[in-house]
Amino acid sequence: MLESMLLYLAAALTLVTSVMVAVTRNTVHSALWMVASCFLLAVVFLFLRLQFMAALQVIIYAGAVMMFIIFAIMMLNLRVNPGRIQLRSTKTAGLVLVLFLFPALLLLLGMGRGIAALQGQVSLRALEQFGEVPLLANVMFSDYLLPFELVSILLTVGVIGAVALAKKRKD
Amino acid sequence: MSELLLTLAVKSVLVVSVCMLMVAYLTLAERKILGFIQLRYGPNRVGYWGLLQPIADGIKAFLKEELTPANADRKVFLLAPIISIAAPMLLLVVIPFGDTVTLFGREFTLYLSNPDIGILFVLGISTLGSYGGVLGGWASGNKYGYIGGVRSTAMMVSYELSMAFAVICVVLLSNSLSLVDIVHSQAGVWNIFKAPVAFLIFLISGLAELNRTPFDMPEAEAELCCGYNVEYSSMKFALFFFGEYTHLFILGCLTTTLFLGGWHGPLLPGIIWFFIKTFAVIFLCIWQRATFPRLRWDFVMKLEWKFLLPLAIVNVLATGFIVAIF
Repeated sequence: MLESMLLYLAAALTLVTSVMVAVTRNTVHSALWMVASCFLLAVVFLFLRLQFMAALQVIIYAGAVMMFIIFAIMMLNLRVNPGRIQLRSTKTAGLVLVLFLFPALLLLLGMGRGIAALQGQVSLRALEQFGEVPLLANVMFSDYLLPFELVSILLTVGVIGAVALAKKRKD
Repeated sequence: MSELLLTLAVKSVLVVSVCMLMVAYLTLAERKILGFIQLRYGPNRVGYWGLLQPIADGIKAFLKEELTPANADRKVFLLAPIISIAAPMLLLVVIPFGDTVTLFGREFTLYLSNPDIGILFVLGISTLGSYGGVLGGWASGNKYGYIGGVRSTAMMVSYELSMAFAVICVVLLSNSLSLVDIVHSQAGVWNIFKAPVAFLIFLISGLAELNRTPFDMPEAEAELCCGYNVEYSSMKFALFFFGEYTHLFILGCLTTTLFLGGWHGPLLPGIIWFFIKTFAVIFLCIWQRATFPRLRWDFVMKLEWKFLLPLAIVNVLATGFIVAIF
């Protein structure tokens, strides 16, 4: 009971911090709210008994990725966003996205049908039987091996592209 | 239930107070050892052999005036020192100082908590801790602080990688992410003999994450006049300073746990062995500070990206290969 209440609290705080990311003017403050949001999402994972996922969430998103973003903000010296944020062009697109994505997500959750739609291989019983890391590793390196490798190729392409863009041309 | 809570509360207070006292005296130890190496006395005016110096420093920090620069970002300026002390103190929770002891007919574990993901917890929280220096530099509205903060982010992003790869070697050898299990797996042979390269990589990247002297880019006093903490005074500065020494203490504890067999050792009780090893590592860190000059900024980056990181990746592959065969 207490655990699920804390879970809902953490989830609500994640939402609040995510909204703060969007509405804050100061770029670094916005990035900090995003760190808080990533961290709180890790807390949500903890209450769902996914310790390993929580740790990776903190190390990769709250730690490494956000550190990169803050590095970029500081290098470009974007201290305060000047004037009003130009929302007009993105407002309609955002509205359309929200109107379509939110019902889609709710459908995915299987409104009225319980959480049957979400029952995959990572269930509470499987977690207790195999442990979290072996379970994830088994799923990731057998059933989803091809997508996993494709994602890593995609990331490598991204890195090579960045290096190619940053390299000085000799001409 | 209440008994469990009581034990936990007593243990927490004990761990935090003993470790913080040790950290306070680390500042004196560093100045004394550096003095000894450089043929001078070091602090010797407050108390016998300067033993009350840390307390005098603390009182001085309390009594000094607090300044906040006019163009500082006040909230973040306040938040930064808090982050940089809170993160290393949080890491004390998972450090296994010893195995179980029996007192008054009851068994007590000499660690506060043993999560299954112990080592990942350490990596995660220590990255979060590095936001302290970054934000401190950014929020003070000072160009030196700013450059210190930018350097801090770059250092953290780079040296995290090689450190994580060194840790992966240990995890492969011990077959567990829990720090207590890692120590148990070293009952026979310590990890430093099984993975000497990983030990060196871990120590070097640990020093870089600590901002200690060969890598103290974010606060290089010759170029940045103290970098990210230049605008901080009084207790806020003391928190940064204390956070850095707590981090040094944690690095000693972690090196002991991951590579030097933790509490294992002959004759003496485990916890004494743990602190002997920890302080040996800390002594090494202070000793090398007096030995090596500060590296130039681009050399620090070259060392990581062109030497340590490829070496760490090859090392992980080799370790995985050997573990898979035997």
